[in-house]
Amino acid sequence: MTVSTRRAFLQTSGTGLALLAAGCAPKVSDFAQKTGRRVVVIGGGWGGATAAKYVRLADPSIEVVLLEPNKEFVSCPFSNLVLSGVRTIESMTFDYSRLRDHGVRVLHEMATAIEPEARRVKVGDGYLPYDRLIVSPGVEFQWEQVEGLAAAQDRVLHAWKAGPQTVELARQLQSMADGGVFVLTIPPAAYRCPPGPYERTCQVAWYLKTRKPKSKLIVLDANPNLVSKAALFRAAWANYPNIEYRASNKVVKVDPGAREVTTELGDKVKYDVLNLIPPQRAGTIAVQADLVGADKRWCEVNHLTYESVKYKNIHVIGDSTIGLPVPKSGNVANAMGKICAVAVVNLLNDKPVPPMAPGNTCYSWVSDREAIAVVNSYKIEGGKVVQIEQKLTPGQSEMWAQNAVGWANSIWHDMLG
Amino acid sequence: MPIILISLLLALGLTGPAAAGPLDGPGAPQALVCSACHGFAGQSQSNTMPILAGMAPWYFKKSIQDYAAGKRTSPEMEPYAKQVLQFGVDDMAAYFAGQKRTASPVKLDSAAVERGRAAAVQCTLCHGVSGKGDPAKGVPDLTGQPPGYLRHQMLLFKADRRSPGDAQLKVIKALMLTIPDEQLADLAQYWSSVR
Ligand SMILES: Cc1cc2nc3c(=O)[nH]c(=O)nc-3n(C[C@H](O)[C@H](O)[C@H](O)COP(=O)(O)OP(=O)(O)OC[C@H]3O[C@@H](n4cnc5c(N)ncnc54)[C@H](O)[C@@H]3O)c2cc1C
Ligand code: HEC
Ligand code: HEC
Repeated sequence: MTVSTRRAFLQTSGTGLALLAAGCAPKVSDFAQKTGRRVVVIGGGWGGATAAKYVRLADPSIEVVLLEPNKEFVSCPFSNLVLSGVRTIESMTFDYSRLRDHGVRVLHEMATAIEPEARRVKVGDGYLPYDRLIVSPGVEFQWEQVEGLAAAQDRVLHAWKAGPQTVELARQLQSMADGGVFVLTIPPAAYRCPPGPYERTCQVAWYLKTRKPKSKLIVLDANPNLVSKAALFRAAWANYPNIEYRASNKVVKVDPGAREVTTELGDKVKYDVLNLIPPQRAGTIAVQADLVGADKRWCEVNHLTYESVKYKNIHVIGDSTIGLPVPKSGNVANAMGKICAVAVVNLLNDKPVPPMAPGNTCYSWVSDREAIAVVNSYKIEGGKVVQIEQKLTPGQSEMWAQNAVGWANSIWHDMLG
Repeated sequence: MPIILISLLLALGLTGPAAAGPLDGPGAPQALVCSACHGFAGQSQSNTMPILAGMAPWYFKKSIQDYAAGKRTSPEMEPYAKQVLQFGVDDMAAYFAGQKRTASPVKLDSAAVERGRAAAVQCTLCHGVSGKGDPAKGVPDLTGQPPGYLRHQMLLFKADRRSPGDAQLKVIKALMLTIPDEQLADLAQYWSSVR
């Protein structure tokens, strides 16, 4: 399947407009002056792309500028299926043309600084003034937490931001000799997508079981037990005797030359292929702009508007946030994007912000055709997001995998369609 | 206009640069969370998630209550149904009822649609010739829903897994038992094709 045909489903209309926009791509200098009201969004991922689109849907009189260095959006959800070869990366890669059709001005640039007093964002040598800013930069890795990692960033793969690393890890897995050892390391919570590493465990184990039956998967988990859906994953793992799961095994050192990682307990583990998921914090721009709390890792926000508790007119959404009883998931980032957009529009129009709560559904693929899920719903109580209920699927099935496909198609469209 | 009056009007939301947008109005902001699966304004884009746009309020409410009570078992919908009850089911029912319904974009198999058309007579007794249902009998609209969703619900009726033991649904379940699974798929294709 080619990239363009797969992408086509999001571009049901407006291709002409998109071409037009591409023909005269906007520059930072076009936005040096602000005429009407303007919202700037940093990051065109799950949170930011959604927020940008929904501000335009809620009030088309507001100018929206989206800053995102990548020309294409690659979905992390479903990207574990690229490792097992069940899906192609192209099937989860989309462009930003439909957002342009909604009137979002997409600038493929990196925000380099935020000036809260001047209410402007620095991009290279230029500045973008804003009325309100929405920050959704996802996570950054804490390379320094693992000895030897900073110097080996290009060789030790995380594949925790879907894209070239995902494809390269799949290639390494495919070219590993039968009988080889694949080592997957999981950082201490909180990290992006609590069930993600365990879904990845299933996908790698399924691939090895089907294609390289003499191989082994060693999982070194910094946490004392599976962080999410433990019983469901353990039931799924009964089908994969090739998994060796070691809890409370935090990796503190990597030596790519010796192809070896070292745990906190001093155990050395040899690998043929390594996937090291490093510890995480909020995206760099959020740290630099002092939006993070005392932990220097995550940003605290108002639960109704997602406005930073530290700086006025700056809202933070997605994985970078903390303090709400929600997981760091794409589904939550999407919900926060919509709620924050409505809040920002109401605030700009001097209207009260209605109470809105997020929701979460995380499907995880446990084989090439079966999935499990966890669902959380929330309410607002005393100005805070409070969980109503968490529900798990009673087991794994093909039906939930089909619902996962339905969810992915819907939510990709909700963000970028 | 005196400044005080302007700010009063603004506070009441009576003026301001934008007229009421598609995200204003009772139920609309709280329904945003549903679009992750059901599509913007309930206009589902996928095969497994039902369309909520244009749904009759009585049936929306019944569905939400059935999910919250665990009569219709769905690990996805049970928590969201409780969230709807929390924020106000009437407002959300009215919001979705007010959205224009467009038939599912899922591609249909025309041969299956034709086979389904021939078998669909047995449904019209309750769902009507138009398939639009009958509130008086508690029968919902089937038309334009995604075929994957319709087929799955028929299989649930057949296995008595949707509202098990419900006396009101005895007849439809008995009917489903007489229909082979392949024909259920054809029926789903047909009702999805009806406008
Ligand atoms: C393997 C894997 C599987 C997952 N599976 C699921 C799943 O099944 N379901 C689910 O709900 N979630 C899943 N997730 C989690 C989900 O991907 C994240 O929670 C989600 O991406 C968070 O959205 P975000 O907007 O915070 O960050 P992102 O989506 O990462 O977006 C951040 C964007 O900001 C941009 N950016 C960063 N800094 C700047 C800057 N200074 N200027 C401009 N742009 C900037 C980045 O380029 C990036 O595009 C998974 C994650 C992984 C890794
Ligand atoms: C994670 C995905 C997901 C989300 C989010 C979600 N739903 Fe659903 N919904 C489903 C699925 C799947 C079904 C079908 C379940 C079944 O098998 O009965 C469904 C069914 C329904 C039905 C029954 C439709 C019919 O024709 O009988 C209603 C009503 C409904 N949902 C309303 C909502 C509302 C309102 C929200 C937001 C508060 C919401 N849903 C959020 C997945 C979702
Ligand atoms: C005896 C009356 C009756 C007949 C005949 C009948 N139905 Fe129904 N059907 C119902 C009722 C009542 C419901 C609503 C069930 C509920 O409230 O949970 C329903 C619901 C459904 C639903 C679920 C819709 C949704 O949105 O979830 C499907 C699908 C369906 N019927 C298909 C059919 C098909 C196909 C036929 C013909 C083969 C058929 N029905 C014949 C009474 C009937």
